[in-house]
Amino acid sequence: MPKPGPLSLAQTAAHLLSAMEAGEKAAVMAVISHPDPTRVGGRVLLRGEERLGSFQDPMADAAAMELARAGLTGDPKVLQGLHTLPLAGGNEATVYLELHHPPAEMVIVGAGHLAQPLCTLGALLGLRVRVLDDRPDFATRERFPEAHEVREVDFSDPFADGKLHPWSHVLLVTRGHRYDFECLRKVLQHEPLPGYVGMIGSRRRVRATFDALLQEGFSRDLLSHVRAPIGLDIGGETPAEIAVSVAAEIVLLWRGGSGHPLKDAEKVLDRLSTGPGEQPRDTLDEQDIP
Amino acid sequence: MTNEDSDIYQGILDAQRANRPCVLATVVATRGSTPRKNGAKMLVDPAQGLIGTVGGGCGEAEVITAAERTLETGKPQMVRVDLTDDPLAWTGSVCGGILEVFVEPIYPESP
Repeated sequence: MPKPGPLSLAQTAAHLLSAMEAGEKAAVMAVISHPDPTRVGGRVLLRGEERLGSFQDPMADAAAMELARAGLTGDPKVLQGLHTLPLAGGNEATVYLELHHPPAEMVIVGAGHLAQPLCTLGALLGLRVRVLDDRPDFATRERFPEAHEVREVDFSDPFADGKLHPWSHVLLVTRGHRYDFECLRKVLQHEPLPGYVGMIGSRRRVRATFDALLQEGFSRDLLSHVRAPIGLDIGGETPAEIAVSVAAEIVLLWRGGSGHPLKDAEKVLDRLSTGPGEQPRDTLDEQDIP
Repeated sequence: MTNEDSDIYQGILDAQRANRPCVLATVVATRGSTPRKNGAKMLVDPAQGLIGTVGGGCGEAEVITAAERTLETGKPQMVRVDLTDDPLAWTGSVCGGILEVFVEPIYPESP
């Protein structure tokens, strides 16, 4: 029987790592302030529908679970950060809600020149990288030392042995546009749709692909999900440069960036008042400090 | 979960297994242009050094000092790190803003 009290940090660490390994989401709530100072640092974790640990206050436990569920289902009002929990007796505690998702993966379809720097950058970003190709000479461990998995597949059904997830980033970079096209069709038929789908190609080839898929009955809405041509416009030409532009696009989507140079977004020099005696002010945006 | 986070949680378990106390610092709130946002973590393991970062520079040094203090007192604490002073200081961080960092000790537990 688990102990009825809150989880220690070490217990939390073990539960979290095991949830991530199993591909499950988890939320942790840590007490940051409490009328009883000995409660500070106690944790409760939600994994699936199971609550691990307890604040030993039914009201706080119920509110915590509601908060964790809302956070894990992507409720925009419940973000990772500080929240207030009601306690029995009319008191309140402050908890820090932390949301954890299983490590995202990068699925590189096509093990050619571009795949190598993509694999390196994907691993650097903390993605689990899978590399797929139908050529045994290319789909080798030696070519992709940072990959989690390198697999020889048939491009007519490349995801047969490894399903895609909402946290998959699929990069279609095979040696021939025909294969990219066939693999894209498979991706778009996949349930669930991966979170990121990118396909390399010139404007002309991308147009031909979209045209053919529309004729086959795929909706415009579905195709709008596809990042093609792949990557941000940084003028990249070499495989390494193109890989940087793809990695930049992936980070941009995670973090909600604009893709503009920060210099132009911030316009620091333009905003600097230059009149005599006027001091440039550092203004703070009100964010989440209460 | 990022590689950084899983390294930190693994680091906590490693310290437990080796019967070593350590300290976790978590950024729980920020204001202004801070280097890291809420969720950033750093594990201070006196025997192993640091895993992860809450932003580097002088602000991180303050957190490390607080980590040493918290190991002595055994009490978790909130540390406010203010990076808004003197934007042209030579030794300061390249960013501004304020970090609220929760610093808590982790002692070996009997299994």
